[in-house]
Amino acid sequence: MTVDDGGVLEGRGIGKTFAGVVANADVDFAVRQGEIHALLGENGAGKTTLASILTGLYQPDDGTILVRGHAVRLRSPRDGLAHRLGMVHQHFHLVDSFTVAENVVLGDPRQGIVLSRRLHRTVASLGERYGLAVDPRATISDLSLGEQQRVEIVKMLYRDVDVLFLDEPTAVLTPQEVDSLFTVLRAMAADGRSVVLITHKLGEVMAVADRVTVMRDARVVASVPTSETDTTGLARLMVGRAVDLADRHGTRTPGPCMLAVDELCVDGAQGRRVQHVGLSVRAGEIVGVAGVAGNGQLQLAEALAGTRQPSAGRIVVNGVDITGRGPRVARAAGLRYVPEDRLGTGLAPGLSIADNVQLTGRRPLVGGRGHAEREATAMIARFGVKARGPRDIVRRLSGGNVQRILLARELSAGGTVLVIASPTRGLDVSGIEFVRSLLDERRNAGAAILLISEDLDEIRGLADRIVVMYDGRLVLERAVGGADVTELGLAMAGVAGR
Amino acid sequence: MLRLERRATQPAHLVLSVPLAAITGALLLGALFLAANGFDPLLIYAEMARASFATRYGIEDSLVSATPLVYTGLAAAIAFRFRLYNVGAEGQLVVGGICSAGAALLLGQALPGGLALALALLAGLAGGVAWVLVPALARARLGTSEIITTLLLNYVAVLLARYLIFGSRSLWRDPTATNFPQGRALPPASQLPELGGTQIHAGLVLGIVCAVLVFALLRWTRAGFDARVFGDSPAAASYAGISVTMVVLLLLVVSGAVAGLAGASEVLGRAHRLDPTGLAVGFGYTGIIVAALARYHPLGVVPVAVFVGALSNAGTAVQSLPGGGVPAAISTVLQGAILIFVLASEIHVAYRVRWRRLERTAS
Repeated sequence: MTVDDGGVLEGRGIGKTFAGVVANADVDFAVRQGEIHALLGENGAGKTTLASILTGLYQPDDGTILVRGHAVRLRSPRDGLAHRLGMVHQHFHLVDSFTVAENVVLGDPRQGIVLSRRLHRTVASLGERYGLAVDPRATISDLSLGEQQRVEIVKMLYRDVDVLFLDEPTAVLTPQEVDSLFTVLRAMAADGRSVVLITHKLGEVMAVADRVTVMRDARVVASVPTSETDTTGLARLMVGRAVDLADRHGTRTPGPCMLAVDELCVDGAQGRRVQHVGLSVRAGEIVGVAGVAGNGQLQLAEALAGTRQPSAGRIVVNGVDITGRGPRVARAAGLRYVPEDRLGTGLAPGLSIADNVQLTGRRPLVGGRGHAEREATAMIARFGVKARGPRDIVRRLSGGNVQRILLARELSAGGTVLVIASPTRGLDVSGIEFVRSLLDERRNAGAAILLISEDLDEIRGLADRIVVMYDGRLVLERAVGGADVTELGLAMAGVAGR
Repeated sequence: MLRLERRATQPAHLVLSVPLAAITGALLLGALFLAANGFDPLLIYAEMARASFATRYGIEDSLVSATPLVYTGLAAAIAFRFRLYNVGAEGQLVVGGICSAGAALLLGQALPGGLALALALLAGLAGGVAWVLVPALARARLGTSEIITTLLLNYVAVLLARYLIFGSRSLWRDPTATNFPQGRALPPASQLPELGGTQIHAGLVLGIVCAVLVFALLRWTRAGFDARVFGDSPAAASYAGISVTMVVLLLLVVSGAVAGLAGASEVLGRAHRLDPTGLAVGFGYTGIIVAALARYHPLGVVPVAVFVGALSNAGTAVQSLPGGGVPAAISTVLQGAILIFVLASEIHVAYRVRWRRLERTAS
């Protein structure tokens, strides 16, 4: 029996390999009591694997896990919870048709056959203690993603975890929700619990964490107090070289109007999803559409791209009325659409790179394989895609390479109006850097770009004008210089009107 | 403890070696089944192999049995490969048979031989298309499940064929058959020729030609490309401006056409009359098994159809073994076992099995 001052949870020499791919190599990681500890790294650096090992989801190939100084073996997440180690995954594990309270006690071995009648009070008081407002009787499917996340956290608090891992928790939140999440995390830390925040956003690390551990290529490259570092230093540690993530905005006065949308309405299964939207994008300009997911952005983008039929209004691309005339007419008018759903909508995941390259182009009635393969080979080279060749299946590529192929195809030929949804979502820092400089370059070359994203930082870093979409309407418009984060955030939450 | 681990690389030989190993496993299971029933498995397997492949008549019978399966396997492969579940090949085959027999009876005397035969084949194709058209339109325009509609239409087709022979004095019924109703014999000019004095008829050749045509259609044409995109991801197809309605219609219509030709080939090549009891014996459903074993590959369907055809013949052969008592159902048992083994073994192409001991740690 060893006792160590490493803190409440420590992993020593953790190693894990998946089918020949090293995810963790000789990782040392320690969490102290009452701290907020950021685990920072690019996609595929091994952050989630490490957290999953330290909470019992995966078993390590090598290494030891110590909880309060004692070596333990975690065979399942249930073992992890027994040692009071919990994790909120990026994709929530909630039963949609159950209530909040039912989800909180789900899988709790202490519950009998009949759920305790005090349950609702217990859940509500746990929430109140840390400022997590949740109605225990609400059904999960009625809650926003931010509220669902609170349920996940309450679930872990109900299990009385000492160490809580949160995997990319801010990806689905508005700025205000991020702030209140951070308040909750600080309250938990003040209460003596430890929080591990898995993220690739440097700003968050500096805003909330006491210490930061940086991972790169399956290894820990640094573990330092945040007071001794800054975003530039962290970016360099994370990527292994200096990166340029400075804001980029248009340098010239925008040209003529290339995309004009007037009084556009789109109906969905649950009623009207886009309501009387009017906007224009000029040559050499990026207009950012900010908003929380599910406020009609997808329907707007699909109506523009021609894959969804609008119920009213007009869409004009380069002087051509393309309203409701289908994706081919929209493309012929010069519009290119990079959907948020890359694998499955933008690309056919089970087909080869060459097949995907010719997906939206002109295809001959018979043949054309050789031509497609040559074109794919050229794109692979030009856009720095890591692939063995044009016959590689797209599904087997990493997220960053998938996005490169989609962008390569859509931004290569003839597009003057670009509708681009969440282009950097899920990408690592190098991928983000690549996409941002590509969009900036296309803007300077005179393209009119509509950038739709839930990530306000992405929009603020690229757009020249920002509009906020809430409940199918554009509720706020600001030049990027005049945009105040609080004002934008309130508009995204539907609080402020025009 | 056994664990599955994704293979970092997939050696090409696995695509063949895994299913072959699975077939061996199924045969071993069948051997246990036979031994448990007091038979000598080696003896029976040897007899099955001899009856299917080692005698002239055996080979002929195997190929004759394989002929309809080439078509129905192809019909299933065209649809299932793109996640369209046309389980109505049985009905489409029967209607194809009715139509081609009808055309042969009406035109066989009046027209020159080649033309009558071509029109009879075309009528069979059209019958299959007609039978799949309503489910195809309902699926393409309304999203109705084609599984339900095509399946139910099978019963309608089979009953229609029975009615034409047993229930009415129709064009198809032989007016001279007094004791037991049977189909009117087709004029020789509209029959498919037999190959070189065997029972094997030109339907087999036509089936293989169809397989090659379907393969070429899917691989080298724009329609085939659209179908592959649709099969992989319907959302990507609509994103690219491919008409999903047209792709669904095209695939189901081609599938139904090939199934209709199966009926034409049976009627014009083997039975030479409309024979409801000999026509609706489950070729449509066995075709689904053939397609699955061929991994829905249009060319793969041909050898698999020969294998499955031989297997069903072998069942009849062992039934008449001296000593007796071996049920013909052994071939059905083996078919089922092979299907389950091959489908279940597919995971081994992408994954490897690792044996790992759980080590204990002192805590």
